[in-house]
Amino acid sequence: MFCKNKTCNTIHYSPLTIHNYYMSDASAILTSLHQQFDAVTFVPQQTVDNIDTLWLPKENIVAVVRYLKNTISAPFNLLYDLCGIDERDRMGKEKLPAKDFTVIYSLFSLDRNKFIRLKVALEGEYPSIPSITSLFKNANWYEREVYDMFGIKFEGHPHLQRILMPLTWQGHPLRKEHPARATEIGPYRLINETIDREQDALQFKPEEWGMKRESDDADFMFLNIGPQHPGTHGVLRIVLQLDGEDIVDAVPEIGFHHRGAEKMGERQSWHTYIPYTDRIDYLGGVMNNLAYLLAVEKLAGIEVPDRVKVIRVMLCELFRISSHLVWFGTFAQDVGQLSPVFYMFTDREKVFDIIEAVCGGRMHPNWFRIGGVAQDLPKGWDGLVRDFVKYFPPKIKEYTNMVIRNSLFKGRTKGIGVYTLDEAIEWGVTGPGLRACGLDWDFRKKQPYSGYEMFDFEIPTAQNGDCFDRAVVRVEELWQSLRIIEQCLNNMPEGNYKADHPLTTPPLKKYTMQDIETLITHFLNVSWGPVIPAGEAMSCIEATKGANSYYLVSDGNTSSYRTRIRTPSFPHMQMVPYVSKGYTVADLLSILGSVDFVLADIDR
Amino acid sequence: MQHIWIVLGVLFVLLNIAAGLIWLERRMLAMWQDRLGPNRAGPLGILIVLADTLKLFFKEDWIPPFADKWVFITAPAIVVASVLMSFVIIPFSPSIIVSDLNVGILFFLAMSSLGVYSIVLGGWASNNKYSLLGALRGASQMIAYEVFMGLSLMGIVMLTGSFKLSDIVNAQKDVWFVFKQPVALVIFFIAGVAETHRLPFDIPEAESELIAGFHSEYSGMKFGMFFIGEYLGVTLISAMTATMFFGGWLGPAFLPPWAWFFIKTFAFILFFILLRASLPRPRYDQLMETGWKVLLPLVLLNLMVTGAIALWIRG
Amino acid sequence: MNYLFYISSVVAIVATIMVITRYHPVHALLYLVVSFLAVSMIFLSLGAPFVAILEIILYAGAIIVLFIFVVMMLNIGSEAAAQEKQWIKTQTWAGPTILTAILLAELLVLMIRGDSTTITDQSVPIKQISFSLYKEYIIAVELVGFLLMAGIVGAAHIGRHKKRYLHRFLREKEERESVKL
Repeated sequence: MFCKNKTCNTIHYSPLTIHNYYMSDASAILTSLHQQFDAVTFVPQQTVDNIDTLWLPKENIVAVVRYLKNTISAPFNLLYDLCGIDERDRMGKEKLPAKDFTVIYSLFSLDRNKFIRLKVALEGEYPSIPSITSLFKNANWYEREVYDMFGIKFEGHPHLQRILMPLTWQGHPLRKEHPARATEIGPYRLINETIDREQDALQFKPEEWGMKRESDDADFMFLNIGPQHPGTHGVLRIVLQLDGEDIVDAVPEIGFHHRGAEKMGERQSWHTYIPYTDRIDYLGGVMNNLAYLLAVEKLAGIEVPDRVKVIRVMLCELFRISSHLVWFGTFAQDVGQLSPVFYMFTDREKVFDIIEAVCGGRMHPNWFRIGGVAQDLPKGWDGLVRDFVKYFPPKIKEYTNMVIRNSLFKGRTKGIGVYTLDEAIEWGVTGPGLRACGLDWDFRKKQPYSGYEMFDFEIPTAQNGDCFDRAVVRVEELWQSLRIIEQCLNNMPEGNYKADHPLTTPPLKKYTMQDIETLITHFLNVSWGPVIPAGEAMSCIEATKGANSYYLVSDGNTSSYRTRIRTPSFPHMQMVPYVSKGYTVADLLSILGSVDFVLADIDR
Repeated sequence: MQHIWIVLGVLFVLLNIAAGLIWLERRMLAMWQDRLGPNRAGPLGILIVLADTLKLFFKEDWIPPFADKWVFITAPAIVVASVLMSFVIIPFSPSIIVSDLNVGILFFLAMSSLGVYSIVLGGWASNNKYSLLGALRGASQMIAYEVFMGLSLMGIVMLTGSFKLSDIVNAQKDVWFVFKQPVALVIFFIAGVAETHRLPFDIPEAESELIAGFHSEYSGMKFGMFFIGEYLGVTLISAMTATMFFGGWLGPAFLPPWAWFFIKTFAFILFFILLRASLPRPRYDQLMETGWKVLLPLVLLNLMVTGAIALWIRG
Repeated sequence: MNYLFYISSVVAIVATIMVITRYHPVHALLYLVVSFLAVSMIFLSLGAPFVAILEIILYAGAIIVLFIFVVMMLNIGSEAAAQEKQWIKTQTWAGPTILTAILLAELLVLMIRGDSTTITDQSVPIKQISFSLYKEYIIAVELVGFLLMAGIVGAAHIGRHKKRYLHRFLREKEERESVKL
């Protein structure tokens, strides 16, 4: 109902303009920055992923970000990621302007199809930096996260509070002095005072969030949705401020599912970290492996054979189908339709049968390896996939008729949870949520990785950006994924399932027994794990829920110095209060369902 | 003496049907959802009824310390009592009827209007925000849909000239009222689903939103009463639909009248379950809006047309 | 069937007393429902099933539910009960009590004199009620209809809820319109 006067036709992203910007040199932006801020010294840094990386003093960060977002043509209008690094133990940091801590801003320009990475070096034990929340709405949570993890303060942040860790937590986990294992902390004792303190910390105090307890003529009701609630799909707590059943405001509380995945990245070897990635977006399975490994392979300089690329694409698309099926079923259930979830989980089992036959695992197969995949495809894989490709299309049609075309379902989702394209970009929305606003943005097409440029598929879009359109886009993606899988099936290249590269872990056996050098490399790779050359690289893939990135910093060690995981669900969840204001409680459940988040993906 | 036997017999049969529906519903849902459902206890899993009931009986009978104790206890009793009372006027066969009141339909409406108390009081007494929201939704939903339910039956009353259910059944000897009053049937059934707050209109409970709503805090046999009350409600609406629109006990003579009645009733019970398996839940305000803006004009129109035709036929 | 009448009357009186003595509004309303049911039983025992049923449908089934609904919305709890205790002072209740006492005395006199006509235990068929409603009392029915209509329109007008917390698009629209004005 809101969409008619709010269709987002203001911005046109034609392929031509993207192409033009792409061709213009990276240094163009640097020159314009130098012209604008002549007093400031920008120090460029060469990174492996070829993203323009600039160091700048902290006094200028707000002005530079504002300039990049508002002033230049084809602006960097999407705050893709914001993270920190504790640089104090980093080897070889003398070559960089790095001091004690670094805050990194990853901005993205949809017009240029380009990232830019701004780095600010900070000095001191608990440094501070100006906040950019006034420029980007989604900076809010990111800055809270950096504060939570590093103790870096953001001046001018409206509500700088811990976000992932409990409010009562001592220390900041991603600082190097913070222990990584529970056994290093000492035994945990739950005494009565602790219980009281923890309980008190969980109590929601509206005043802290600038909320009133009553309006002019009535009391507001504060309703806890979660942490245990069937509609939140996991341990998520949303505190609603209600006027009757109308949502006045909402405060999501996340972090219940936080497992310190980024901290573990600094502890595990490059190779043994792969299974942890499986569990970030636990519905995405090997797609997480891919995001991680693309970054590792960039650092290591591994070029994988075509067969690996196609195998990886095929499994990722199977997982996209599986993830979308879970979303589809649970979304229908969120609006009260009980049966579809059973049909869709049955079909998901069929996908899992293929995955099990190929990988041995089902939800978390942990099957991709640095420079390849764990094994070659098993005999008869093509039969399984062909059966599925034949079996699935009528099912999608059936489900579309059952759910999408149901008028009650339309009544519950059309015009609900609307956001415009501008709002989506402002909040850092990616994936189907962005495409439902009319922008055909898909990293598989725009910045192809793992051989996606070889495939023929379309980017489904919708115009209104409401719950219904997000659903339609996802259903259409099922078709496209199936198309890609079919192409994988028919065009599977011959070749090795692993790259012939010294850092491939574990390497192909036939290359290891040739001489002492190869044998030692093999031995070291499987005992210590590979040593990845120093450098920084970020991958960016179109995961099931949006753009997923691993930003890895290596200082030439057997494990990563910093593993930053940019997940799509995090900014999506941050946007939920904004889009749900003015709707009712029942609508909130539609919105949550249509956003398609995974709590593990938010909390990491 | 025979009267007492009828009362006891009806009570016995009804409670068994309500309990049996636990099994039937789960098996049917399972069938429609491509799964097995309870199939372990007894033949076809029928003993799940026993297991479930025993489980409910032996669960801790917990009354939350923050609840209003007496109201909390009374609420589940009201729903069962009011629904059972309604069965008083249902003619199971020409001879099996507890009391053939001459205000039969009105009595049914009166009893179902009392049923709303169980939701309102249960939700209020639980002293829980979800329950309160459920109770508020339930109260407005049930009061509104009672109106449409009552009005939808008035067309039949016009045609028969009686509130007595046995008269109404006898009036269908030639043509069932479903053919004379199809609009009324649709509205009555929709209102019936809303009255029994079954999916798709389980808005006071709305599992994915309000987590069982008005009976969130109930456990043990008190929850069991809501449960039984719901199934009795389903049976009641099905029985009423069969009686009012599908000729009640009437049917070819090779089966006894009560058998025809039960066959028809079960068909509608199955339809209730099928609705639950297939439809999503509208939003609360959508339900109310449809009620007042679509069903009410429709049912009034139906009434006017019926009245006009009835007068015209009589000359 | 006289004993049915007396039992229901006693229930009605006791329930009504409970209504006035309860501090908690919801409890009081529950007793009021019981009182209505008892009154309806009295009607039934006097052979007026139609009125009896209407009593339940209208009063017990609809009006009191609305009362409870309002009480729930207002979230009246123990504070309200305490407040009510403060309000009830001698000068508040003395006047009504004296007036009611006069009525009670009159009633007792009538009952003791015993020359009132006894109610014949005879059922009134609905047809007869409808005939009298739509023949002799048609004007009264129509007038009541007007009155109710006015009531409904008034209630709809007063109760017209202006949504205070609007969706951001609607708010923008409203702001734009107010700027235009």
